[in-house]
Amino acid sequence: MGGLVAIGAALAVGLAAIGPGIGQGIAASKALEGMARQPEAAGMLRTNMILSFAFMESLSIYGLLIAFLLFAKI
Amino acid sequence: MIETLHSIGISNGMMTSTVITIALCVVGIIAGRRLQVVPSGFQNFAEWAIGGLYQFFEGIMGTALCKKYFSLIATLFIYILFSNYVGLLPWAGHIPGVAAPTSSVNCTLAMAIIVFVGMNYVGIRAHHGIGYYKHLMKPFAFLLPLMLIEDLVKPMSLTLRLYGNVYGEETVTESFFELVPLGLPVIMQALSVLMGLIQALVFSLLASIYFTEAGTLEEEHL
Repeated sequence: MGGLVAIGAALAVGLAAIGPGIGQGIAASKALEGMARQPEAAGMLRTNMILSFAFMESLSIYGLLIAFLLFAKI
Repeated sequence: MIETLHSIGISNGMMTSTVITIALCVVGIIAGRRLQVVPSGFQNFAEWAIGGLYQFFEGIMGTALCKKYFSLIATLFIYILFSNYVGLLPWAGHIPGVAAPTSSVNCTLAMAIIVFVGMNYVGIRAHHGIGYYKHLMKPFAFLLPLMLIEDLVKPMSLTLRLYGNVYGEETVTESFFELVPLGLPVIMQALSVLMGLIQALVFSLLASIYFTEAGTLEEEHL
């Protein structure tokens, strides 16, 4: 039983990292493109980019929390 | 003495939270004594910091709402910022009585409930009564369950985001420490410095956005 719980915990955090990884990559690429086109707007773009990262990061953190909860049960 | 406090049920996070609150109040009182028209020294720094925060939130909330609710939003920001950074002090978590308050889900849940109650209060006040809740039926009435869930998920996501970030950073730092005691945890701690600031900013920014959404009447949206 402990084996399945461990696999569950690993899958939880592993799969939860895929979506935000792709999402943050797309956001960063668009932000960098914008900064390259118009360097005067770099400060505003950077702030909004960091903000968007925090929202996407929280989805991955939910998976991490489930992994912690399961980890306590192995 | 700390053991007796633990036996009543006061946790490390609560004790640290009390110390942080008292320290912030003392700093505020010191900054506000003998105010001069042309500021200098500590008053100058405090005015710059609070003025910068006020400008930032005024851009999001608009002048009227910002004047009323800036104190709550700024308090949340400063408190969460200092709470996140307490976890980075040397031996934090191993000295009895020192632990980051936001690393416990109780603290973040309490702040999220405050934001939720505040959001409803701002909405009811702006719409002069229970008519505020008509926004749940706004695009189509059959979307009511969806809009309800969206409204109820807001405090939950605030809680879990902040708790997960701070507790996760702590745990990963400890795991790194058990792997390679010298040098590896520093990488995670450097990341914690950045993420602590970002999470404090995101919490207060989301709170201000929720207040703005609740407080603007329908005609003003367009």
